[in-house]
Amino acid sequence: MSIIEFHKTSKHFGDLKVLDEVDLAIEEGEVVVLIGPSGSGKSTLLRCINGLEQITGGDLIVDGISVRAGGRKLRQIRQEAGMVFQQFNLFPQMTALQNVAFGPRKVRGLSRAEAESQALLLLEKVGLKERAHHVPSALSGGQQQRVAIARALAVRPKVMLFDEPTSALDPELKQEVLNVMRQLAQEGMTMVVVTHEMSFARQVGSRLIFMEHGKISVDGHPAEVIANPPSDRLRDFLQHVE
Amino acid sequence: MEVDWSVVPGFLPQLAAGARVTILIALAGLIGGTILGLIAGLMRAYGGRVINAIAFVYIELIRGTPIVVQVMFLYFAMPILLGIRMDPMSAAILAIVVNAGAYIAEIVRGAFLSIPRGLTEAGLAMGLPQWKVLTHIVGPLAFRRLIPPLGNQFIVSLKDTSLFIVIGVGELTRTGQEIMASNFRAVEIWTAVAVLYLIMTGTLTFILRVIEKRMRIL
Ligand SMILES: Nc1ncnc2c1ncn2[C@@H]1O[C@H](COP(=O)(O)OP(=O)(O)OP(=O)(O)O)[C@@H](O)[C@H]1O
Ligand SMILES: [Mg+2]
Repeated sequence: MSIIEFHKTSKHFGDLKVLDEVDLAIEEGEVVVLIGPSGSGKSTLLRCINGLEQITGGDLIVDGISVRAGGRKLRQIRQEAGMVFQQFNLFPQMTALQNVAFGPRKVRGLSRAEAESQALLLLEKVGLKERAHHVPSALSGGQQQRVAIARALAVRPKVMLFDEPTSALDPELKQEVLNVMRQLAQEGMTMVVVTHEMSFARQVGSRLIFMEHGKISVDGHPAEVIANPPSDRLRDFLQHVE
Repeated sequence: MEVDWSVVPGFLPQLAAGARVTILIALAGLIGGTILGLIAGLMRAYGGRVINAIAFVYIELIRGTPIVVQVMFLYFAMPILLGIRMDPMSAAILAIVVNAGAYIAEIVRGAFLSIPRGLTEAGLAMGLPQWKVLTHIVGPLAFRRLIPPLGNQFIVSLKDTSLFIVIGVGELTRTGQEIMASNFRAVEIWTAVAVLYLIMTGTLTFILRVIEKRMRIL
């Protein structure tokens, strides 16, 4: 059984078909990089996995549970699939440490002391132990995004979903975030990453998916697909992002 | 008749009693109004179509009619319509509850909806139920944005209590008028009444400033 299974999954916004009968299976340990033109449905595909968007056709199974189940089952899926957003979305009223400890406390029911000692280890892992008691507004974008990664990891997910995690960052800050993601991939985390960082896709990705108009148009090994794009549109696209 | 400030201390105890009634109506009314406003505001912000519509109708009914008409309705029309009879004091408190509740509902709705959607999504994405997202993430942030407009509404409602003169509640304005009727000291009495209102609204403003200073808007 694959950890994520799309079965003819569709998503409509009103009359607009944003995902068009997508079939896709993602195995544990894969690092899937999603690319594609703006509006092709990359974010939507990602957000359907953890039910932030409700699918309107087909089915989508995450770790054996259908996203259609809703309620407690959906919350279980969300605990298994951590998400990192383009805009970080850290809780501004909490310090970095409180942000990271929040999930374990409120979702997993850990005590404050337990949650915070684990949170500190995670902050150390992303290189921000010294910034533990800073509020998000006192951190740089790259630091905020690393806290956001630690926050998602704190809930102990099996899969990590990244929606353009470095797009809001200055070029010099992108690398520190990509390094954390690279380390995560090396540890065997299953990852689905929407990004336009082609060097990351080539070096870290185990699979590259090119989306167009709500469909998967190319699905292959990153290095091969990038070296020999199987479609003209992918070739054009790659020329534009690099 | 000459203006003679020395008469003021003589009727001060009576005015103070009126001010106490004003404070009582405002306090009880605003506690109720804040609770009602919180419920109606959250219904507007997060309710489904039906729940939202119920809150919407309530808010528009209240915002579209004068508070004097509302209290007249409660005091004179309710006994006929529903057989519910209440004393003027209860009608006054209820009028503030219902009236302030509608305005506070809009304040609450605005504050909650002003919190970036991404924070709610971050909470949901880690597996929190919606209500925990509201109580632990959005609520505390919305609360900070709520304080200034809420304080404004408290002051408006406090002054609105003077309109309950129409159903004969012995609050500050009514007390002023009663003293007037017996000694015709218009300048002294209405000055004293105005000063008492200023002390009450001034105290409220001061408390709000302190709270605002203590809490950073995030
Ligand atoms: N909540 C929504 N309501 C209506 N339409 C939406 C909504 N969210 C996304 N869409 C539409 O769905 C389509 C796909 O959006 P999506 O965000 O998935 O694209 P994307 O591939 O992530 O694009 P980008 O690279 O710009 O982030 C777009 O046409 C977008 O306008
Ligand atoms: Mg997107």
